[in-house]
Amino acid sequence: MAAYILRRMVSTIAVMAMVGVFVFLLLRLAPGDPAAMIAGRLATAEMIAGIREKMGLNDPVPVQFIRWVRDMLGGDFGTSIFAGRPVLELISQRLEPTLSLSILTMILSVMVGVSFGILASWRTGGLVDRFLAAFSALGYSVPVFVIGYFLIYFFAIRPHWLPVQGYAPIDGGLGPWFVHLILPTVALGIGYIAFIARVTRASMLEVLSEDYMRTAAAKGASSYAILFHHALRNAGVPILTVIGISFAYLIGGVVLTETVFNIPGIGRLVVDAINNRDYPIIQSVLILTSGLYVLINLTVDLAYTLIDPRIRY
Amino acid sequence: MIITRREIIKAGLAAGTAMSIPSVLRAQTAPTAARTVRMVMGDLSVFDPVVTTASVTFNHCLAIYDTLFGADSKFMPQPQMVSKWNVSDDKKTYTFELRDGLGWHDGSPVTAADCVASIRRWGQVAPGGQLLMARARDISKKDDKTFTIALQEPLGILLDLLGFQGPFIMREKDANLSPTEQVTANIGSGPFKFNQALAKPGASFTYDRSDKYVPRNEPADGLAGGKVAKVDRVIWENIGNQQTALAALQAGEIDFVGTPPVDLFPVIESDPHLELQVLDKTGQDMFLRINCLQKPFDNVKARQALLHLVDQEAIMRAAFGDPKYFRSVTSMFGNETPASNDENTGWHKTGGDPGTARQLFKEAGYAGEKVVILDPTDWREADNASQILVAALQKIGINAELAPSDWGGLVARRANKGPVEDGGWSLFMSSEAEWIRGNVVTAVTLSMNGEKGWFGWPQNDEYETLRVKWADVETLEERKALARKMQRIWWDYVPEVLLGQYVTPIARRQTLTDLISMPELIPIWNMQKA
Repeated sequence: MAAYILRRMVSTIAVMAMVGVFVFLLLRLAPGDPAAMIAGRLATAEMIAGIREKMGLNDPVPVQFIRWVRDMLGGDFGTSIFAGRPVLELISQRLEPTLSLSILTMILSVMVGVSFGILASWRTGGLVDRFLAAFSALGYSVPVFVIGYFLIYFFAIRPHWLPVQGYAPIDGGLGPWFVHLILPTVALGIGYIAFIARVTRASMLEVLSEDYMRTAAAKGASSYAILFHHALRNAGVPILTVIGISFAYLIGGVVLTETVFNIPGIGRLVVDAINNRDYPIIQSVLILTSGLYVLINLTVDLAYTLIDPRIRY
Repeated sequence: MIITRREIIKAGLAAGTAMSIPSVLRAQTAPTAARTVRMVMGDLSVFDPVVTTASVTFNHCLAIYDTLFGADSKFMPQPQMVSKWNVSDDKKTYTFELRDGLGWHDGSPVTAADCVASIRRWGQVAPGGQLLMARARDISKKDDKTFTIALQEPLGILLDLLGFQGPFIMREKDANLSPTEQVTANIGSGPFKFNQALAKPGASFTYDRSDKYVPRNEPADGLAGGKVAKVDRVIWENIGNQQTALAALQAGEIDFVGTPPVDLFPVIESDPHLELQVLDKTGQDMFLRINCLQKPFDNVKARQALLHLVDQEAIMRAAFGDPKYFRSVTSMFGNETPASNDENTGWHKTGGDPGTARQLFKEAGYAGEKVVILDPTDWREADNASQILVAALQKIGINAELAPSDWGGLVARRANKGPVEDGGWSLFMSSEAEWIRGNVVTAVTLSMNGEKGWFGWPQNDEYETLRVKWADVETLEERKALARKMQRIWWDYVPEVLLGQYVTPIARRQTLTDLISMPELIPIWNMQKA
């Protein structure tokens, strides 16, 4: 197991290195000039040239790359071209809203999605199952921003029940923090609920048709015991896999949700950085995100051993 | 040990109370909602007005810094930090004395040395500042409250330069930084203090009323007069999504949106709590910039063809929709500046004149060269206008195509002076505040100094001679006469084509009143919240 984890950690570094090279080159090849963006619409070429020189953007790309890698290995992820602050400081400021939204969404999605899938599999073709089919179609096909605006209109503008936008830091009290995250969590979570529920249903149906399920029922096991003690445990591996994948994909969905609900998280930071061509921020966030992806996958792989003792690494 | 349900509930309540303590403390120290104004002003990412020309940065600077002179609502320079000033008989030496009570937000007093350093730094970059520095023999302090500007020769528009886009006065140690190095201390001497502790880059910035600021006694008038902060706190929220910003305005979470989207005007007009208001009455002049170095527009006939081709009404309608907010413009100085005139504007026709345009392209020897229009897809109005333009060009047989990109891609490509085959360009759209166009010295787009000048690189020495003269004339009549001569050359040469003048209303809640009406800029003093 330890050797396996070590191998995976080494591969994480390799993946991050490849992402680093790719992102760095892609940004330099893409059209756009951060100096021109800083200088503004009516800047003269002279102003722009002065800023480029100051920022070291006139250096050859390999020189810039080596400088970036050297600094990063020393723990310095650079300074934002626009904000003039360390990138890690900006990322850490934005981490809390994104993590809050992601974790709440996953909790909601797993709790509702798994329960929904189990209920649907228990009574195949029944009301819950048909409702799940309709809900899934809706969850998959309606983009998160449409759901977002729908929720804003019916729960924030009209009845003033919930705030339209913004984020309340957790150190300002759990109440405001939670209230600000209800709508974004629901908007972002609907698609994942549908996804997890469908996979849970399919996986449960497969297990429920096994002979040992009939044996359990013949022995007089209750429906609760059959569903939760016997079936769910055996159907767990694919469910856990999609939860892991969902969490990784969630980072992409967060960008749109943060934009619609004006949550100052990592997603907004990246979008603004791309618009401004703020290279250090884009590079750092993508490097850290790729590392996070790999770590999530590793965690899921390790979690398999807890569900299914037959799995060994 | 047995833990009862009652004990669990007690523990939960205690924990909840503890978690909410910080917000309770904040509530005691933060101003009330009625004394706090929340505004959506745009993404403030650069804090230094010498480093950028972005108007959101100028708004930030208006809040926290002060200026020597301020332009009033008629664009006349009025003393602001200066209490009195005089000029020598030969008009070559100006002496300025600072008024009493000026102090930095860090507690130290404003001195003449701060002013001198700020003028020098601004003078290295801003067009008006560069003109001043070119004419200056010496800028130095006489004592803590007095400084002088000694000129090699008289400069008639000196006070205009200091009053319009003049230097924001910074502490000497900030102003001693290189003009390419951003000042981020954000310590000014203006009516509002920048709250560094609550700064959330990309999300929100907070400005608190400066209790020690001493406003002038005159009533507020444009950027001049008494800058009285009538609310305790102003928070600039950066809501990038306009639909969300409007929803927040409707819900009362914010009080002001600086640039509401055109297509949502009817929603705002139908809400009894909201109001659209045109603060910037002169608005922006939208123009088509022409690459004068490359074919086909290195030929004056081809440029004149564009002048005849453009149908301002059609372009403005595509870009802005409601005619209430746009109109045509024919003077290079805009519709409403003192220099506006009708010299050499016979080319203007409602609906354009494609027949004449086709004939002029023929006379220019147009032989099917590709015309590339840089199309900023993230600037909706220019994107729409570009679609109309490319269709009009194609209709008269021009091999025109759009090069879509975001604004960041456009600003990088427009610096390329080469032919379109090598990544160059032929045309792009931009806009400029009309009040800036009223002064050819500070308006970089109104120069014709070739490759040293603004993108498009038109060159005409006769025009440039007149532009230099602009700085010397002292009376408005002289300047108007000069403006007519310059405009004749401008429209003969055609370095750009005007597309129209538009104004953008702000959206606010009815409870927010007394906003100062100024072109492009939004000062946050004087406004009140009911």
